[in-house]
Amino acid sequence: MIEFQQLRKVYESGGQQVAALNGIDLKINKGEIFGVIGFSGAGKSSLIRCVNLLERPTSGHVIVDGHDLTSLSVKEVRNVKKNIGMIFQHFNLLNSKTVFANVAMPLTLVNTPKDQIKKRVHELLEFVGLADKADNYPDQLSGGQKQRIGIARALATQPSILLCDEATSALDPQTTSSILQLLKKINKEYNITILIITHEMSVIREICDRVAVIEDGKIIEEGTVFDVFSSPTTSTARNFVSTVMNDQLPESIKELIQQHAGMQKIFRINFVGNKAGQPLLSEISKKFDIHINVLFGNITELQGTPFGNLIVEFQGDEKEIARTLTYIQEKDISIKEVNEHAS
Amino acid sequence: MLANTDQIIEALIETIQMVTFSLLFSTLLGLPLGILLVVTRKGHLLQNLPVFNILNGIINIFRSVPFIILLVALIPVTRLIVGTSIGTAAAIVPLVFYAGPYIARLVENSLLEVDPGVLEAAEAMGATPWQVISKFLLPEALSSLVLALTIATIGLVGATAMAGAVGAGGIGDLAITYGYQRFDEITMMITVAILVVIVQGLQSLGNFTAKKIRRR
Repeated sequence: MIEFQQLRKVYESGGQQVAALNGIDLKINKGEIFGVIGFSGAGKSSLIRCVNLLERPTSGHVIVDGHDLTSLSVKEVRNVKKNIGMIFQHFNLLNSKTVFANVAMPLTLVNTPKDQIKKRVHELLEFVGLADKADNYPDQLSGGQKQRIGIARALATQPSILLCDEATSALDPQTTSSILQLLKKINKEYNITILIITHEMSVIREICDRVAVIEDGKIIEEGTVFDVFSSPTTSTARNFVSTVMNDQLPESIKELIQQHAGMQKIFRINFVGNKAGQPLLSEISKKFDIHINVLFGNITELQGTPFGNLIVEFQGDEKEIARTLTYIQEKDISIKEVNEHAS
Repeated sequence: MLANTDQIIEALIETIQMVTFSLLFSTLLGLPLGILLVVTRKGHLLQNLPVFNILNGIINIFRSVPFIILLVALIPVTRLIVGTSIGTAAAIVPLVFYAGPYIARLVENSLLEVDPGVLEAAEAMGATPWQVISKFLLPEALSSLVLALTIATIGLVGATAMAGAVGAGGIGDLAITYGYQRFDEITMMITVAILVVIVQGLQSLGNFTAKKIRRR
């Protein structure tokens, strides 16, 4: 659906060359919600702007629906853009026009007959839940309402791709959530491929199917949201994950572990899916001659799958503890010893 | 010899004629120039640095010549266009050369105030450059453009006073010839009062229209 091949974007600033994108290879499948997460300046804005050529890549290819955009003429690119909707962090609505005129704009640009525009705009306003605001001006609306209008406008020409450029970053958590639900509904009902860039991991967790982590213009990690959240491999990804997973040990427990370094056996157990429903701890405490002390635990839902995270201390004979570990590993549950750095 | 009412009315009509026509022509000149100054600059819609630099330079040259000098310097051009270099119609040519570049700068300023995000949205929709200008840039700047034209109009009212130098007449000329040169204080007071009323009226009209467009 959208494919980046060896995409590079180099800016010249003050005689210096800065590579915003440094060889991106990425494929986004039809009908999925794909998230790209990164810190400011990582290149995610440049990346999303290359999908509709708001920015021309310095080299490499952007392939949308089988067309290599970099090889198309200006006019052909304009036609491709009709198939790509985009929403923005600051909404970018025309303040001089009514809500109706804003949503109608993409249709007006292609000279759609007036009665068709009217029908489509009302349909869209109904869809985003703002049918009563048609005659209002954007500055009479709240941030969430403005983004809904932005979404309605982006959908006017019935695109098959929707680009979301930090679309919820200017909104409060509650409004963010309602906008994300709306995006989910769009994805389900119209089977529109959605590409989201954000610096908020909660956005990725809430609606994305797959995610890529971008840093210094490169994709450093990519996978299903479940895989990246349950076992991030890079430290950047781990940082992002920890912002929403709350899987970091509380300071007091870290201190405790450091004080007794080498004297205790502390483990991190990750439960996935239905395994989270098994009474593992009570089972092993009955089966083996050890004591279990739970230091920390939480459970999060990822894409409808429960994901548990537990820090426990095993007290008892070393051999017995080793047997316990083997038993747990045989059950296909991830268990790792926690070192004194508590990581 | 005092100026009589007929003379004042005649002068008023001359001023209105000069301002109206020169405003019309200088807007026709200044608006496209102002748009070009914006869209040809670096990173904009139709980036073209040679065009931008040349326009920028020419406008600066015209903006730096005092009107009274422009009035005299342009006499050959005026003769070419109007056929004469004296009278109300002849004054319109230098007035347009004076106000056109001024309006171009004012338009440039207004258009640069438009949120770049809106233009980005326009490009994302696949709008052609002409559509970006006509359906996004100008409507978003309209209220500010009206205020800019108000400033230009008032500037023109002031400039017409000097147009008396080429026998163009007008209220300002009356104030100078009768009031200043013949020590006719009453005529001077009356003409100045009329000018004040005109300027106040224009500014109020401009503010009202701009506010109405902005609808806030």
